[in-house]
Amino acid sequence: MVVNKPAILIYGKDPDQDFLKEILAGIEEEGVLYSLEEAEGDLDTLAFEAANASMLGCGIGITGQRIAMQMYRLPKGHNVFELDTPRFWQCRNLGANSARAVKKMPFKPITGEV
Amino acid sequence: MKLIAGVDIGNSTTEVCVGMMEENGEFHFLSSAARMTTGTKGTLPNVHGIKAALSEALDRAGVSPEDLDGVRLNEAAPVIGDTAMETITETIITESSMIGHNPSTPAGAGDAVGELLFLEHLQRGKAGIPYLIVAGRQFSYEEIASCVNDHIQTLDIRGMILQADEAVLVENRLEKKIPIVDEVRHIDRVPEGKMAAIEVALPGTTIRMLSNPYGIATLLRLNSEETRMVTPIAKSLIGKRSAVVIRTPNGNVRENILPAGELRFHGETEQRIDIDEGADKIMNALESAGKIRDITGQEHTNIGNMLRRIRRGMEQVSEEESDIEITDLLAVDTLAPVEISGSLAGETCMEKAVGIAAMVRTQRLPMRQIADALEKELHVHAVVAGVEAVMASLGALTTPGTRLPLAILDMGGGSTDAAILEEDGTVRTTHQAGAGELVTMLIQTELGLHSRVTAEQIKRYPLGKVESLFHLRLENGSMQFFEESIDPRYYGHVVLLTPEKMVKIEEDLPMERILEVRQEAKKKVFVKNALRALRRVAPDHNLRKIPNVVLVGGSAEDFEIPEMLMEALSEYRIVCGRGNIRGTEGARNAVATGLLLSYIGDGNH
Repeated sequence: MVVNKPAILIYGKDPDQDFLKEILAGIEEEGVLYSLEEAEGDLDTLAFEAANASMLGCGIGITGQRIAMQMYRLPKGHNVFELDTPRFWQCRNLGANSARAVKKMPFKPITGEV
Repeated sequence: MKLIAGVDIGNSTTEVCVGMMEENGEFHFLSSAARMTTGTKGTLPNVHGIKAALSEALDRAGVSPEDLDGVRLNEAAPVIGDTAMETITETIITESSMIGHNPSTPAGAGDAVGELLFLEHLQRGKAGIPYLIVAGRQFSYEEIASCVNDHIQTLDIRGMILQADEAVLVENRLEKKIPIVDEVRHIDRVPEGKMAAIEVALPGTTIRMLSNPYGIATLLRLNSEETRMVTPIAKSLIGKRSAVVIRTPNGNVRENILPAGELRFHGETEQRIDIDEGADKIMNALESAGKIRDITGQEHTNIGNMLRRIRRGMEQVSEEESDIEITDLLAVDTLAPVEISGSLAGETCMEKAVGIAAMVRTQRLPMRQIADALEKELHVHAVVAGVEAVMASLGALTTPGTRLPLAILDMGGGSTDAAILEEDGTVRTTHQAGAGELVTMLIQTELGLHSRVTAEQIKRYPLGKVESLFHLRLENGSMQFFEESIDPRYYGHVVLLTPEKMVKIEEDLPMERILEVRQEAKKKVFVKNALRALRRVAPDHNLRKIPNVVLVGGSAEDFEIPEMLMEALSEYRIVCGRGNIRGTEGARNAVATGLLLSYIGDGNH
């Protein structure tokens, strides 16, 4: 029997490793589990499919330096957050926000100055 | 055919009403409008607001301003409400002796004691001494973890204090589980080399040791005298999820009682009362002073300055300062979260405060000047006609189901006015300090809000919490669902449901707390004032002799105040409810309507 663990899914296609590390740190600090998988497709598809496959209803898609966060039941392309060649703190907060989405807590700022 | 407008200038709102007198003597109400009052009530800047409201109403009626034949202004009661807030206690931390805040994710659990040591000085540590490690933002979580892991065999490391929000990240990488407090903003102010105690509460609980003076004494080995000194620290740490207490020789948290000063009531008897005594005693003193001529504050104290400020604000409407008298005052106890001076992580402490609304009376307001200015700018005949309370009673009588004798309770922004209109036409009125503006101020201070606008909106609109991108939990527990997803910026936040859109509350406050503060503030001001005001105008000062009360004014439009008053007044068998002026206007526009009705009654046609 295959049991999915309650985790935020991250579907990556050649993800930028530094960005990825920050996103994972953001999720970890909030105390939520995550699971990383290689996938094929454009950014919107990756995020959309990750969110739908995640038991927690929250997924992140990464293609190279572009990142999108998506939640279950939102239409494809309607990403909750989207970043393009971001700064590290933005990645960290995007990760934290994906965990906060699960915990039903207010999001951290993801744009603007630190 | 004549086109007439009634204009009512209130403390916060200017209301107008436009009506038409047919040739055959029949009268129709055409339209009404309301705008913010510009400037202090009764002063020339009011003209802007009047013009704006007038053109809106005329627009709605579909007539042009040139057709207007006359404007009737009310002889506004020469009373103006003002509010002020004064904290009477102040907490000061000397020598940075504590950290107590609510980081969202501290790590580990339990308490620990040790000497404070900065991460960059780790190699200076000696074996056998317990340490608490302090690390600034310049180190990444990986650096911190590996650095501490390198020394964990040789040094006795008991706990950590971090500047960045990385407690869980560090803890997950440590070989030993220790309590970690993070998000300490001013980490550079932590004194190295001092003994300190750290505590992180288990999830869902609050700290136990450091919020207890004997707990601190146990951890830091204090004697009885020192334990007495740390009591305010323990008090200010109650309810926190994590805390650090640092043992500094002179360090202390002090609660100062500010010299708030004495209030002096000059009435039938002279009464003096210290502000520190609290709202109940102040109101009792006011009661026992009888009819108030004036209220002053002790010179060179907070209350003295506060009342002087209110008087000075009034100078522009009156020629001489001696004309201005404070004739009523409403004091309300409140608690305000104030950032502790000398704090390390933005700690706040609930300070005692007293909110005061004062009612200032001048000899008369220069209403004629306003009428002249209107005549000049609009080229219409403008008259000052009718006393405010009488006009409001006339307007209120247009509410279906009312009869004489009729009491009205006019709850506006600055004052709560009561009037009773007897069958023989006599009118008794009173003006009480304290209304909508005081409620707004109480909400703002008690919740520690940055913006007054947010406080005003909290007062007006019901709350909800965005629980998912597709639904809201409303303040009464019911749920509201949406077809389209809610903007993710609102996610997890408490929002206000204004008619147009949702408004996010920036401050991190639970919905239950906001609800409690809002309802308490309204009860403290309006229920108290309604009873006070009605008792003053009631025959023989007996509330039971008032058969019915119509609530008018801006605050009567509120979604819960009328119900609160109905509940409070049902005890006295009074029929009480929100007015419905002309059966269409709701609780607004009573005075403006009354002005037009008095025009018909005058037989000017």
